Amino acid sequence: MASTVIGAGITIEGELSADEDVVVQGTVRGKLDAREGVTVESGATVEADITAGPMTVAGAVTGNITSTDRVDLQAGARVVGNVKATRITIADGAQFKGNVDMDV
Amino acid sequence: MVLTRSTSPASRHDAAPSTQAVLGSGTRVRGRVTGDGDLTVLGQLEGEVHLRGELCIAEGARVVSDIDAAALRVAGALEGDVHVSGDVAVLAGAHVRGDLHGASVSLEEGADFDGRLDCEFTLPADLGTGEGGLSDGPKARR
Repeated sequence: MASTVIGAGITIEGELSADEDVVVQGTVRGKLDAREGVTVESGATVEADITAGPMTVAGAVTGNITSTDRVDLQAGARVVGNVKATRITIADGAQFKGNVDMDV
Repeated sequence: MVLTRSTSPASRHDAAPSTQAVLGSGTRVRGRVTGDGDLTVLGQLEGEVHLRGELCIAEGARVVSDIDAAALRVAGALEGDVHVSGDVAVLAGAHVRGDLHGASVSLEEGADFDGRLDCEFTLPADLGTGEGGLSDGPKARR
């Protein structure tokens, strides 16, 4: 199954749901639901609540993140919102404001 | 500025998308999609599309949306009115319901089209006034 790529020049305002991997290089506003992994690349903007499998963030996310797997906030990431995940890494150079809920 | 009724199977709608923006076959979008680049839709899209590039609706994809783009290729299902500054290609196997407006429109044999073609074209010199004509194009009422 092909994965979804929201290219750098593309903006989606609304609801995006996917049964496959989603890579965001552009902008998503609204809601993002993915069964598989979500990658928010450097330069991308997501203003949405996100539910996903494994997540990697190197861009900007404003919204709550719920992952059934792990969340990696990489250097250069800027996340404002709560993160609920089984595992989380926050790299040196990542900016993060919000709560972490690891369901312990 | 030509209205062509192409029957050539040369068009390639099943090729791997070369563009960077792809809505995969397992993806559904409800809302507004805007952007500068090209976009290929393999999944479902419902809402509104404003693109400065080419929109490609692949086989198996379903789009319910009015479309404003630089170019359009349809091999899947499309319901909505289309305003394109460049070329519109409706390929074999496509299902289109809506009005098509473009600099040139081609309908491939095997395409299913229900709507109006709105496209400017020059009449051949031996027809009518000999001057270029402006026409609403053939009309097929729904």
